[in-house]
Amino acid sequence: METVMEAPTRTFIEVSEVWVPEGDRLVLGSGSYGTLDSFAAASGKESFTKGEGLPGKAWAEGRPVVLKEFDGSYFKRTEAAKEVGLTSAVAIPVFDGKRLKAVLVTLCADDSERMGAIEVWSEKEGLLTLDEGYFGAAKHFEFVSQHTQFPKGQGLPGGVWSAKTPILMRDLGSGYRFVRAESAEKAGLTTGIGLPVPMPGGGHFVVTLLSAKGTPLANRFEIWDARSAKVGTKNEAVLIDGICKRDGALWSDETERRVGAWKGLIGKVLGTGLPVLETGPSPVTANYTSAVALPMYAHGEVSHIVAWYS
Amino acid sequence: MSTWIDIAALDSVPKRGARLIKTALGCVAVFRTGTDEVFALDNACPHKNGPLAEGIVHDKAVTCPLHNWVISLETGMVQGEDTGQVATYPARVVDGRITLDAAFLKQREVA
Amino acid sequence: MKNAVIIGAGMASGRVLEHLIEADPEAFNFTLFNSEPRGNYNRIMLSPVLSGEKSYAEIVTHDDGWYGQNKVTCRFGEAVTSIDREAKVVRGANGDVPYDKLIIATGSAPFIIPVPGHDLPGVIAYRDLDDTNAMIDAADAPGKPAVVIGGGLLGLEAAAGLALRGMSVTVIHLNGHLMERQLDPAAGYLLQKDLENRGIKVHCNGATKAILGTDRVEGVELDDGTVYDASLVVMAVGIRPEATVAKNAGLEVNRGILVNAQMETSDPDILAVGECVEFDGQLFGLVAPLYDQAKVLAKILLEEEGSFVPKELSTKLKVTGCDLFSAGDFAEGEGREDIVFRDPARGVYRRLVIEDDQLVGAVMYGDTADSNWFFGLIRDKTEIADMRDTLIFGPAFQGGAPSDPLSAVAALPREAEICGCNGICKGQIEDAIAAGATDLTAIKATTKASASCGTCTGLVEQVLAVTLGDDFVIPAAQSICACTDMTHEDVRRMIKSQELKSMEAVWQECGWKTSCGCHVCRPALNYYLLADWPLEYTDDAQSRFINERKHANIQKDGTFSVVPRMWGGITTPDELRAIADAAEKFAVPTVKVTGGQRIDLLGVKGEDLPAIWKDLNDAGMVSGHAYSKGLRTVKTCVGTDHCRFGTQDSTGLGIKLEKTLWGSWTPHKLKLAVSGCPRNCAEATCKDIGVICVDSGYQISIGGAAGMDVRETELLCQVATEAETIDVIKAVTQSYRENAKYLDRIYKWVGKVGMDWVKEQIEDLDNRAALVERFEISQSVYRKDPWAEHVTKAETYQPIADLTLEAAE
Repeated sequence: METVMEAPTRTFIEVSEVWVPEGDRLVLGSGSYGTLDSFAAASGKESFTKGEGLPGKAWAEGRPVVLKEFDGSYFKRTEAAKEVGLTSAVAIPVFDGKRLKAVLVTLCADDSERMGAIEVWSEKEGLLTLDEGYFGAAKHFEFVSQHTQFPKGQGLPGGVWSAKTPILMRDLGSGYRFVRAESAEKAGLTTGIGLPVPMPGGGHFVVTLLSAKGTPLANRFEIWDARSAKVGTKNEAVLIDGICKRDGALWSDETERRVGAWKGLIGKVLGTGLPVLETGPSPVTANYTSAVALPMYAHGEVSHIVAWYS
Repeated sequence: MSTWIDIAALDSVPKRGARLIKTALGCVAVFRTGTDEVFALDNACPHKNGPLAEGIVHDKAVTCPLHNWVISLETGMVQGEDTGQVATYPARVVDGRITLDAAFLKQREVA
Repeated sequence: MKNAVIIGAGMASGRVLEHLIEADPEAFNFTLFNSEPRGNYNRIMLSPVLSGEKSYAEIVTHDDGWYGQNKVTCRFGEAVTSIDREAKVVRGANGDVPYDKLIIATGSAPFIIPVPGHDLPGVIAYRDLDDTNAMIDAADAPGKPAVVIGGGLLGLEAAAGLALRGMSVTVIHLNGHLMERQLDPAAGYLLQKDLENRGIKVHCNGATKAILGTDRVEGVELDDGTVYDASLVVMAVGIRPEATVAKNAGLEVNRGILVNAQMETSDPDILAVGECVEFDGQLFGLVAPLYDQAKVLAKILLEEEGSFVPKELSTKLKVTGCDLFSAGDFAEGEGREDIVFRDPARGVYRRLVIEDDQLVGAVMYGDTADSNWFFGLIRDKTEIADMRDTLIFGPAFQGGAPSDPLSAVAALPREAEICGCNGICKGQIEDAIAAGATDLTAIKATTKASASCGTCTGLVEQVLAVTLGDDFVIPAAQSICACTDMTHEDVRRMIKSQELKSMEAVWQECGWKTSCGCHVCRPALNYYLLADWPLEYTDDAQSRFINERKHANIQKDGTFSVVPRMWGGITTPDELRAIADAAEKFAVPTVKVTGGQRIDLLGVKGEDLPAIWKDLNDAGMVSGHAYSKGLRTVKTCVGTDHCRFGTQDSTGLGIKLEKTLWGSWTPHKLKLAVSGCPRNCAEATCKDIGVICVDSGYQISIGGAAGMDVRETELLCQVATEAETIDVIKAVTQSYRENAKYLDRIYKWVGKVGMDWVKEQIEDLDNRAALVERFEISQSVYRKDPWAEHVTKAETYQPIADLTLEAAE
């Protein structure tokens, strides 16, 4: 058993929560709050109708929503959040066709050190442009991204958009010779994962999570393919890509890693069809302190699962 | 023991098309399918001697241009309601070249 | 300890090292030469490194620590200059190394096509990390143009990677479809569609003529004249075994280094492994057999038994989101059967090839879930007779799930246009159904869909069926042929609304049940595609009936008839003389005057066609298209020039019409006539389109026939000027071209859509102008003489071989 863990730094994402529909309201399914007990308590009492608060807005609009300023906004837990230093939030709805399965909400604390990015890209006239994003202290990268567009098939957002599949990229800064890449390198952004987020009425958003070396958004990323076109009719998923700070590359071009429903973190997503949060070091969290696994839907089935561990 | 005669490059016959080989005993049609298989048949439909090389090739069959009889390129058998058979000769592609078993010159003598 | 020297640190030799060290770490001292300045890495994962989806560090298989630990002396970045077999010494640039056993693993070299400019800076092959880094460096600004020559596995992975890096990529491929060695045309179409969806341009049937540029590559020019800008050119056309060192050492080398099943070369102390070897006439490019070879080679060196047996191979493409699989042999061979399954809704295509109750080949696109199962059946030569009927559905579907003929319509997006006349989309029809319109009449009343020309009726009914399920029963409609359940009208609407621009696209998106159609559907599809996409679609000669393919009418004895065009029935003594000369020169048995006012030369031998056309071309004559589903003739009377009753210049108008319309393809043959007065000497009232000149202008009528059916034309409209007459005729011809079913003459088409609808099309002046414009666009491609074109490829009319002098034995 590995006992020497690095001194716990505050991670880029402080809080993750899953809100699930119950009747006409969204209630808290599960949450990962770290040490922020007061905010956890406040959240446990909350629920949202369609259009209400951040999760309700993501539900009503059928799209990912970024909120960078709680004061005076529709955010309902402003007081509790401010108390523990949370300043920004991103909500990603999970739709199976037109039916809402859940809303994943992540909250971040602003400071001058934490680099990283959560971006939401949307299509305008055949190009992907930045809809909104939370960048922490990566201010220059934020500015550059606001002025960058991606055609189909190009870059991480364009690649996700055209391939309709999550993509995990390495060496964001060193490999690319673009302005955005240079800026990414300066910000220390190394690993990026992009996910297609389908809208209930058709159309796609692309959400990207970009992780920096010093203040990682996560220490381990995994992409699982669960399409019946890939794994057959059994409710299973195959690990198609992944990288881990401790274990290195998680993919193999020779042996296949496959899990069935209800087995481990990914199996739980397959079984429930919902995003799953786990906290505390355990085999399920690969001995990290928390894990988030988010399903994506296409053609009426879970098509992919993206998981990140921190 | 069979002897293979080199006829021509595969590309000299269009995909889903045919070309003729003249022999002392009449013409043999060489067909190329959409998947680059080659077949050799007598160039005469058993119905009214229609020139099969001029027909439309689909999958492994050709439709005679005169009265739309469909003939299997593999067996030479007429398909569907009609009956009859066309002589076929072994053909293959080796290194992008069409080759025919020389037997097709002999057999035709007997026929 | 013995000395083992290895030349080349590739995937095969890496495996050899691993096997040997695992079995007996004390057996050998190793020296590893590599001309690349680095050790073993997983070369087949270079594509994801190029795309940024993997890092180089992740694909290193052996690092310095590993070599050190296992006592491997590394001579990286050093080329082997020669092998001294007498002295058993390998000579490297930095000194000699003696060996007891030598392993040659020099891999392969990329094939560079020797076109002008192939050595310009910026032209690179795609084999190693340096090439990969050079490609990454080239992508230093968004949208820079790159050209990849070669649409095989490697070329496409390079293209996808460069696109992700932000380059604007064009793939040039010599064959008619991508990855032709692994895929059939149908799967190649789906792959092309996927790549185009990533912004990659694909140019098939493209032969590279030259690479352009002065100091650096600037572009690529093709044989057909196309030029693509390029700041980077990647050559990925193929590889050949790298056997120079072996050859110079006097080892037996054919295409590759010859080895036996024990991987021994002609010198038993020298073994070879990997892409540089040739075994039993075969070369090896995929990784699976290389690993098998490595295993055998290690056993032989350890003096154990071992024998290399090539196995069936399968292919997958490493482009994220492109799921394809191909295995076994799906091309040559007799006595084989196909099973084809298409699911247009999911973009899925599967084809199995069966021979003697065994699966011998499989191609899958879009759904590769059961690929290992199918591969197992191929490899193990399993008897499949018992499951033949349901085989295509994979292991889980034994019992069968038939494909749904409605799936093509179900797959259409809501914004797909169903009714072209009224611009009604699928979504509007679905909404109307949801609002209570549950039959065709109600849909017509609420949305106007299929209320005009009616050609979309079938599709509207299918939308009803998909939306309402069992509550709606589709009235039986005639499908084109046994290859599809869709009608002509359905397919035509799909071609327009889904912008299907190739035969493969139609087969896939409309769920064709055969792999490449039949003699009934192919000519129809060819017509629809060229009529709807004149600029994008290339006419497919092999999908045409013989008369149109050879531009002459076949006769019952296999000879042809030749009819030169006589514009408006007017000829000259020179033309007549040339016709007479040609008739004599080619021993034409019959010369006949036709009903369309021209001369028919009957009984010309097929192989003489190009020569007789050339003679007629030289005298200024062109094809009369007497064989085509297209414009035949414009018959005229003498009109005002000579006739005392003539009201207008009917001959002049006839010539103008013929010069405007000639070369155009139509659903069936199209005959016109212009009569100078109502006495109608040109018999205009039994033509497809007839013009009767009157004092006040021109009466245009359509829908006549004088074949098995005899019909009189119906008046379309009367106009005042010659110019307007020509416009109206162009417009009505175009409307007929765009809307009629293949092989319907105009009268049949008018019978279906109604004369009132046709009149509306022409009376609406904006619409008329749009029809005229589309007609002219099409004619910019087709208004040309096919004879002149075919004269240039006269050799295709000759026998491919003449063996008349070949002795029978």
